[in-house]
Amino acid sequence: MPDFFINGQPVHAEKGQTVMQAALAAGFYIPYFCWHPHLSVAGNCRVCVVEVEGENGGENWAEIACNMPVSEGMRVLTDSERVRELRKQTLQFILLNHPVDCGICDKAGECMLQDHHYAYNGEPSISTVPKVRATKYHQLSDRIVLDNERCIVCSRCVRFTREISGSHGLAIQNRGDHSLVRAAEDGRFNADPYSDNVVDICPVGALLGKQFLHKARVWYLQATPSVCPGCARGCTVNVWHRKREWKLNHLDPKQNTEIARVTPLENPAVNGPWICNKGRDLAQVFGRARAEQPLLKGKPATLLQAVGAARGLIAEAARPVALVSSWGSNEELAAFKRALGERFACFVKADHRPAPGEVVQDELLIRADKNPNTATARELFGAAPLSFPDGTDLVLVWGEGFDFAGLPRGARVIFLGSYLAPENGHADVFVPLSIQTERAGHYTNFAGVTSSFERCFAKPPNVAHAEEFFAQLAVTAGAR
Amino acid sequence: MTGRKLIMDFPVTATSHLLPDYQARGGYQALRRVLTSLKPEDVTKEVTASGMLGHGGAAFPVGRKWAVIKLDDGQPHYLCANADEGEPGTFKDRWILEHSPHLLLESMLITCYALQVRNCFVYIRGEFDQPYRRLQAAVEEAYAAGYFGENVLGTGFACDIVVYRGAGSYVCGEASALITSIEGKKGYPRNRPPRLTVRGLYQRPTVINNVETLSNVAIIMRMGAEEFRKVGKPKSPGTQLVSISGHVNRPGVYEVEYGYPLDKFIYEDCGGVLGGKGLKCIIPGGISTKVMTAKDIEGVAYDHKAMEAAGSQVGSGGMVVIAEGTCMVRLLHVMLRFYHHESCGQCTPCREGMGWMHRIIERIVKGDGRPGDIDALVRISNANDGTTICGMGDAAGFATVGIIAKYRDEFEYYIANKRSKCEGRLEVAEVADA
Amino acid sequence: MNAPNLPSMKHLQPEFEALKKRYPAGFDSSLTLPCLRRIQEVRGFVADQDIDWLVEYLGVPRVQIEEVLTYYTQFRRQPVGRWHLQTCRNVSCSMRGAERLIDHLSRKLGVKVGETTADGRFTLSVVECLGSCGTAPVVMVNDTYHENMDAAKIDALLGELK
Repeated sequence: MPDFFINGQPVHAEKGQTVMQAALAAGFYIPYFCWHPHLSVAGNCRVCVVEVEGENGGENWAEIACNMPVSEGMRVLTDSERVRELRKQTLQFILLNHPVDCGICDKAGECMLQDHHYAYNGEPSISTVPKVRATKYHQLSDRIVLDNERCIVCSRCVRFTREISGSHGLAIQNRGDHSLVRAAEDGRFNADPYSDNVVDICPVGALLGKQFLHKARVWYLQATPSVCPGCARGCTVNVWHRKREWKLNHLDPKQNTEIARVTPLENPAVNGPWICNKGRDLAQVFGRARAEQPLLKGKPATLLQAVGAARGLIAEAARPVALVSSWGSNEELAAFKRALGERFACFVKADHRPAPGEVVQDELLIRADKNPNTATARELFGAAPLSFPDGTDLVLVWGEGFDFAGLPRGARVIFLGSYLAPENGHADVFVPLSIQTERAGHYTNFAGVTSSFERCFAKPPNVAHAEEFFAQLAVTAGAR
Repeated sequence: MTGRKLIMDFPVTATSHLLPDYQARGGYQALRRVLTSLKPEDVTKEVTASGMLGHGGAAFPVGRKWAVIKLDDGQPHYLCANADEGEPGTFKDRWILEHSPHLLLESMLITCYALQVRNCFVYIRGEFDQPYRRLQAAVEEAYAAGYFGENVLGTGFACDIVVYRGAGSYVCGEASALITSIEGKKGYPRNRPPRLTVRGLYQRPTVINNVETLSNVAIIMRMGAEEFRKVGKPKSPGTQLVSISGHVNRPGVYEVEYGYPLDKFIYEDCGGVLGGKGLKCIIPGGISTKVMTAKDIEGVAYDHKAMEAAGSQVGSGGMVVIAEGTCMVRLLHVMLRFYHHESCGQCTPCREGMGWMHRIIERIVKGDGRPGDIDALVRISNANDGTTICGMGDAAGFATVGIIAKYRDEFEYYIANKRSKCEGRLEVAEVADA
Repeated sequence: MNAPNLPSMKHLQPEFEALKKRYPAGFDSSLTLPCLRRIQEVRGFVADQDIDWLVEYLGVPRVQIEEVLTYYTQFRRQPVGRWHLQTCRNVSCSMRGAERLIDHLSRKLGVKVGETTADGRFTLSVVECLGSCGTAPVVMVNDTYHENMDAAKIDALLGELK
């Protein structure tokens, strides 16, 4: 296990580490574009160059740090004059043909090239020749656009499809300064369920998600930690939405309560730095038309009236059955158990199942169980499959995914849901509930790892938080 | 006569490249002796003792490269002969492929024995169709005669060879790009570490040597290192195949014993400059070697140390003769256009830098040069020195800096006057207009 | 290019199998270049269906073949004229008349560099060093080097190429 020196300071390195790895672990920053902690070393951007002092009076030498094995006693300089000059030169090369699109480029504000340029170069271009032109709006897939002029050919995206997602969906065609990132011609990049990760790892604004394209400037947005509910992996994510101080007053205020985009929240215990495309589409999941009005047999009622009616049904039921949501948070599930676990025969419901064409399960992240909290739900309520005992006269359905055609004849229905659906109007009592982005909580994934999500938005006024609401339904049999 | 001959030591006839003729010249006897009476290490010792330097351009001591291979590591090793020969002005390996392919094959067999290589390759550039056919025919002859296969000459030594054709990429002459091409991919060079002798073809220890370098191995084993060292100079033993072209009366491939006077070679053996013109300069060994003016070559011996002392290099042995009145600006434009065309595009300084330099010099030769252009070319060249994955970026930089250092006045003239000082001439007018 | 009625190249499989045997085990990926060259030799270019077949036959990712086809100058996915005139424009050839030769060819054939004559007979290209500098200027016609060329010699050659 070698010890070596960075800028005169002793640094410890694990066996087999490169200078880049050891330096970052020890808190020294070396700038880079093509290096990524989870991908193979490409060593093509040449930005991470460092200077190494010569041994035995020999001359100093400079090389890229990402491919430099640590040797015992080596003396590395990450910020010498030579290093700064080399870095500046490299940045001048990168900017030679890079279009100054910052004003219209989504990446502005979170762009590695902007950051490194201002930190290590900061001067206008010294070029006297026109920039090389290339495709500016290439449909790389249904979800991603590519601007080849902005691309610095770092190959992160290609390496991702080769080494992480395994789709081999991307390639670099041609050579020299007419190199172009392109998708495989058989469409396998389009079918890659992890394709959108290349948007995150692209160091510049070359690869951009179409969903987020020109939606918002990133500095108007805040990232709230959350958990993707798309399957039992429970990848931690960042849900991006407008900062309060930047809320829109006149231009489409709906955007103030919408998810602008979803990105991975790095998590070594669960998903590393990746998520699948389904997690990116959470805005569509949570943005569905909401039920905001309690109903009694389809007629609007107040929450108080709905609670009263529900309590009445629960009190007089002889054989109440509850279908528990596997999208409930740990807190909500515990509250349900406390309030209703004794009174009801409880069955855990899979709110969502794999949709046609959806990847069911793979070796990377995707799990067949398309619900975020089956683990806690089963821990509390068992794993028995749903079967209505004879004489079931009340069914409490919490969450989506129940086919109401399967209701036992004559049973009354209390339906607790978040989204507008025809069934809402057929239930004896319908109470609208808040969704994940409107509260904080925890899910436990299939491997027993618990992750937390935080609140992004305020809930609509007539909608109830399940955790508090369940307590109000706690009535014993025969009570008034 | 340009000194003693080791490779081109027989008259080329209609049959001299065929196996019977080669055997009549003593061919494959060294192989027989090596396989029956020497250990693999003995061969490496002999080649090291010969002091031979590589003939691909880098002049690396051959024995030192071979010594990295661990004979008992239990891994497959590979040997690749570099017959990509894409360096402009260089066509000397082609002579061996066309006229003495068996010399290469015998040498490769001996080398495979020394390095415990079971499978070897010749990577030949795709355009070399005729040389490929000659070489492939020689391979078939050698197999039929029992020189390749499971049991070479009945000694139990097994060796197979594949001639692998490239498909049009100068960069594939770079050793790591060459093996990546053999792996069936784009010819992208690799970063070092790891050295190719540690992890090369399919991540196995691999030795890549130039065709001429390898061809000397049979010769060294035939005559012995001591005798070999009597040819040439102490620090440059043996000979160099020189391909000479450009404004010269007798272009072609010559075998030059190291130490031979360079000016004599050009003015006498090669017939001097076309059309009786004066010599402006030569590019001695591939276009990245520094140009040497007529003055620079006076009294210079053709060997590694002397060429370095004179400010240039032996390089790949690809010599280009340039007559008085040639426009060096237009010549550099041809070179930079070439480098731009061939850049693989992986690393930033070369990918962007080659295009940048090409576009600057394009502007100059079109009469739209600007005062800062010369300094820009030099700056870009220096920014490619030691900063790239492979040596191509450096090479373009050396070519540029070398020509500007000697002929800056032509560039300044072109920029100031929007035309060439030499009427834009690349040809020798007397010959061109004939 | 992927016209619907292109013949299959699968009859080359026995040849490729024989070639595979000459390589060590685990070298299937290496067959990419030789197989593409052979297909192009027969068809004149590499078709989309050829890529599909090689992906299956060699077990390499499709993008590897796509990249190889765009990286190496000798591979093409479109046909060229019956006679591909590839004229070197590098250092020694330029110094011995290549530029005048290219102009001459362009004017005589009535096409610009990169184009094919209307009758499909000739495609005119410029290439970099062919390794024949001693016999400059050199024109490579399909697979053959034609050395020490000049206007008269190229005119005579064009006459012979039907």
